[in-house]
Amino acid sequence: MTNISVKVLLFATLRKKYGVKELVVNCDGTIEGLIKSASKILGESFIDDIYDKERGKVRDDLIFTINGRNIKDLKGDVELRDQDVIAIFPPLAGG
Amino acid sequence: MGSILKVDLTTGALKSEPISEDVARKYLGGKGYAVYLLYKYLREYESKGMAPIDIDPLGPENVLIFATGPGTGVPGFPCSGRYHVMALRSPLTGSVGSANSGGEWGPFLKFSGYDMIVIEGESEEPVYLSIVNGSAELRSAKDLWGKNTFDTCRILSKRVGGKNTSVACIGPAGENLVRMACIINDEHRAAGRTGLGAVMGSKKLKAIVVSGEGKVPVANPDEFKEVSRRCLETMRKNRVTGEGLPTYGTSILINVINTVGGLPYKNWQTGVNPYADKISGETLAETYLTGRRACWGCTIGCGRVTMVPSGSFQVLKSEGPEYESIWALGGSTGVKDLDAIVKANHYCDELGMDPISLGSTIAAAMELSEKGYIPEEDLQGLDLRFGNSAALVEAVWRTAYKVGFGKYLALGSKKLCEIYGHPEISMSVKGLELPAYDPRAIKGIGLNYATANRGGCHVTGYTISVEILGIPEKIDPLTPEGKAKWVKLFQDFTCVVNSTVNCLFATFALSVKDYAELLSAVTGWNLSEGDILEIGERIYNLERIIVNKLGFDSKDDTLSKRLLEEPMPEGPAKGHVVELEKMKEEYYRIRGWVNGVPTTEKLRELKIEL
Repeated sequence: MTNISVKVLLFATLRKKYGVKELVVNCDGTIEGLIKSASKILGESFIDDIYDKERGKVRDDLIFTINGRNIKDLKGDVELRDQDVIAIFPPLAGG
Repeated sequence: MGSILKVDLTTGALKSEPISEDVARKYLGGKGYAVYLLYKYLREYESKGMAPIDIDPLGPENVLIFATGPGTGVPGFPCSGRYHVMALRSPLTGSVGSANSGGEWGPFLKFSGYDMIVIEGESEEPVYLSIVNGSAELRSAKDLWGKNTFDTCRILSKRVGGKNTSVACIGPAGENLVRMACIINDEHRAAGRTGLGAVMGSKKLKAIVVSGEGKVPVANPDEFKEVSRRCLETMRKNRVTGEGLPTYGTSILINVINTVGGLPYKNWQTGVNPYADKISGETLAETYLTGRRACWGCTIGCGRVTMVPSGSFQVLKSEGPEYESIWALGGSTGVKDLDAIVKANHYCDELGMDPISLGSTIAAAMELSEKGYIPEEDLQGLDLRFGNSAALVEAVWRTAYKVGFGKYLALGSKKLCEIYGHPEISMSVKGLELPAYDPRAIKGIGLNYATANRGGCHVTGYTISVEILGIPEKIDPLTPEGKAKWVKLFQDFTCVVNSTVNCLFATFALSVKDYAELLSAVTGWNLSEGDILEIGERIYNLERIIVNKLGFDSKDDTLSKRLLEEPMPEGPAKGHVVELEKMKEEYYRIRGWVNGVPTTEKLRELKIEL
């Protein structure tokens, strides 16, 4: 796997909990790899907050975007590229 | 069944009429019942030879209705602290007037002994309406005329005293017939849209104070207790209604919508705001947020209590700003100073104006000004450059009092841009300024804006729920495919919510089935999911008939030229425009409409008698 570098942005309760707005993460280009790499910086709880281990995918109730596109709207296997921007929001709404 | 208070301001006559169970079974209450009554007024005017388009929105012939529904004020009915207001014509749009507010006024109207108030005519002198434990009277408001909404609420609350007392009123903007004037209750809650404050102002009705200790009946108390317990538990456990909204309020959306490239910036010249985080809900929480305030009976408590402790934009106590207000007063105007946005929003509440329409109108004026379309002498020193915080705050009070350039801003963006020869710069539909989601990045909301009966409105059919938030499921915002059915579903269901009357935010956790069970228990009518959606569809169609009679049809079900023809210049939606005609064709087909008008067959199917 190639080693790439992506920017991860955290919002709302995730930003508050981990005390950072953004961080640069080096990873293998997979979503699972990204989350594991980020957890080495942010702590193990980050995996549970973001990843549904049983289903092997990002937790269904999050808004998880790659360059502004929700991962749920992307077709096929998602492969991250160098310099991608990942934004992660906990469940939220407004009006 | 409850009662309707009819007030003729011309003669001063007050009379009570019973709610009709037959009408309530077809139109539920709240907005639905009000739409039914407005249609009757329209027919009456027609029978007297007055064409609907000749009704002056600021004349005595306009009718204003304050309405609660079967859920309002029922303890345990989720988020039922709201009321709906409607007018035959909006002074801002010329279409139907419609707005909704929280706080305490709705339930307290019910506790005072009435479910609805219908206001006809106009008074020669300023008056206010007092309803205390079933006793209604008109009183002189000469001493209140000219006062702001905060003072009016406090003075009348103190004057009436008692338990469960609440005031809905207008400020100077409503008195001065500013087209985007709103109705404020409980100091910071607003029936914000379509200029209904100006309708009150034209009628010289300064305020309505309600007070009472009545109980709201429930048809099947045991059944209701069980359904209520289950629904409230669902809301508590739901991470949106139980955690996200209580913690951050609505402004948490700023960063989300900006991330997907749909946060309009500088009068919609792009959908990406480089300063979004500076005006976000996260930043508000870290800076000026001091507490929360919930509406009556609400378990969410999304209302923000704020303070700007020092500086040019000091505000010692305020509420908000909400997502929409931050965007309109900040994002659309390019202002990135959150303290100035809090201050401008505070003035909107104090003086009684809709921040969406006002902020958007100021943003349109900024674009007109930067492009050199407004003569310097008209601006009278108001430096309307994008991002100018001081000019934003200055423009707000100038609009309320129609001072200097404020007299142009007070007309709303459509008329403003027409005056200066560039109607394409007004970001509005049917004359109502658009809210904070760019449909080039979120296609379904564009179809909703275009077809919303009251004009450019997001909460008529909030497809953001499915397109961005993934509630109840996630669909791709960038495709026009399959959006029509969602728009129709949201529009119909929202009619149910606004006729219940409770808060749309409850629907982030509760389903159509939950509403059917809640309403069945409260009314005793054994309503299915299909039944309540049919009621919602009936309401939307009858409201559309009113809108048609007021001169609006398919040609008006459209979007600003910028959204249809200017590709999004950057961000995730780069290159996109709104493929409106394709979506609209499918929408009309699903609705059973031709050229934006319900067919006879559709009306028959919905049992609408014209």
